[in-house]
Amino acid sequence: MTMHKREWPTVVALAPVLLLVLAPFAWLIVSSLKSEIEIGQADPLSLPANLMWRNYQDAWQIGGFSELIGNSFLNLAGVVALTLLTCTPAGYALSKIRFPGREWLFYAFILGLTIPIQAIVIPLYEVLTALGLVNSLSGIVLAQVSNGIPFGIFLMRSFFTNVPDELVEAAKVDGATHLQILTKVFLPISTPAVQALIIISALSTWNDFFLPLVVLISPQVQTLPLGLVRFAGTYSSEYRLVFSGTVISFLPIILLYILTQRRFTEGLTQGAIKG
Amino acid sequence: MNMAKTESMVGAGRGNAARPLAGRSREDILVGADGAGSALFLMAPALAVYAVFTLFPIAVTFWLSFTDSNGFNTDAGFVGLENYRKAAADPILWQSLWQTLLWLVYHVVLAGGLGLGLALAIARLRRSQVFFRTAFFLPHLVSLAVVGVIWANIYDPFFGLLNTSLAAIGLGGWTQGWLSDPSLVLFSVNVASSWQGFGLYMLLFIAGLQDIDPSLYDAAEVDGASAFQKLVYVTLPGLREVMTFVMSLAMINGLKGFATVFVMTNGGPFYQSELITTYIYRLAFQSQDHGLAAVLCILLSVLAITITVVFNKWRARLRR
Repeated sequence: MTMHKREWPTVVALAPVLLLVLAPFAWLIVSSLKSEIEIGQADPLSLPANLMWRNYQDAWQIGGFSELIGNSFLNLAGVVALTLLTCTPAGYALSKIRFPGREWLFYAFILGLTIPIQAIVIPLYEVLTALGLVNSLSGIVLAQVSNGIPFGIFLMRSFFTNVPDELVEAAKVDGATHLQILTKVFLPISTPAVQALIIISALSTWNDFFLPLVVLISPQVQTLPLGLVRFAGTYSSEYRLVFSGTVISFLPIILLYILTQRRFTEGLTQGAIKG
Repeated sequence: MNMAKTESMVGAGRGNAARPLAGRSREDILVGADGAGSALFLMAPALAVYAVFTLFPIAVTFWLSFTDSNGFNTDAGFVGLENYRKAAADPILWQSLWQTLLWLVYHVVLAGGLGLGLALAIARLRRSQVFFRTAFFLPHLVSLAVVGVIWANIYDPFFGLLNTSLAAIGLGGWTQGWLSDPSLVLFSVNVASSWQGFGLYMLLFIAGLQDIDPSLYDAAEVDGASAFQKLVYVTLPGLREVMTFVMSLAMINGLKGFATVFVMTNGGPFYQSELITTYIYRLAFQSQDHGLAAVLCILLSVLAITITVVFNKWRARLRR
């Protein structure tokens, strides 16, 4: 009860900070509904006389946002699926099977976890070229999966490590193979870890810019952030288009987050701490 | 969890008919004859992708730094330490290194500081905690490239939110060319990145605060500690481990910073916002000086490895 009484001063102190932090969103959304002339008046507090929904229609068509969003979804689905398929068994093997070279592999993955993607981009581009994967969504998916593999493996490994060894032993005694143990015993109890991995790999893929910038050259294969940057560069003098295009780029993920916020927050926090 | 219980859980419904391994020790089973084979089988998909798209490029980067490679898929000759000499004499490299370090400090202070401050305030709330936590996290969902587009407009000298707001509240004298002033540009762009970054650090701090044993606060209360004393003697020591973690995460994130700079200033004006990452991109994809770029790649990797190792050691010592 005392907590509730004391809650007010904190809320009052936080309100202006929140206003400041969210002001860019509010300003963009309001400005995106203004006419070019109203934006030119440069009055941040004024509201549009008529809501210019046309700005969104124009930006959507000119910027090809349906294609960009579609590409981003394909990209995300590919990365999430492959990340789960590669990291779950690898995390299991690293935590529950003792084999020669395990230590060595462990350090190889730590290396990739530490080295920033920009530091390997030149040979990575050459590998993608050699495999005919430049300028294709499959290329970007493979590069991003590989970049996320160390984190994913460590996340799954640290979750599996906390599962008692006795569970593996008991299943072994019953004649189960490691693959069966993984799919029948471990996966059903791994929902929190799998959820965390899905959320983190989905968010980082959806928001990635560097790899798409390097790999995806033609507009037809580009993803949302890259497409928006290209669009904003091309139409930099038409503010109404840039503003509405920007809102199109951030609104879907924010709505999705608000709808799923509890799971999202848990997954992200647990994932970041464990991984 | 004891052995018998686990077995009955796992074996439930399957009966005890097949027990080929019964009686063997734990060591036998985990190492097992099939250990290496199964491990290889389970690791193969991850290893294949990782070897081709990460490990191999790491090795090649190292090799490139000793060659005169000046384009993609071209023949490159071995030149020894020539690129390292060239790098040491390159003023833009030193400038981008210094600015990268400054960028890290800005990010740790701005994003880490805001994250900590908000976490301390929000963790005390009950009814409105979820609301504030959710609302303050929103910027983190936006791609850094989109953040770059947003803040380039906020900083627009004529129509931007910042200058027009300053003018509207009578602070017209404070308006700046936020992205054109060489002494301001790095900080201005970092504010945009930190606006996007602080939400995650806030969540991690909130999780850390919730892990502090509440009985410590009760004990401090009994001893008559003030709110400030509780912060200094209970809360902050309890957060030490999370704090080192957030610091290393913020530094690594800072080191990887690329998109906001690329979108907002492309390193300008006069290289005043050039980071190691943006310089690598310029050398790799524009001037195609891959030998020199590879040296920068190695410098970037060494910085990242150093930060990781130092902070891991520090955290390990805190745990003891």
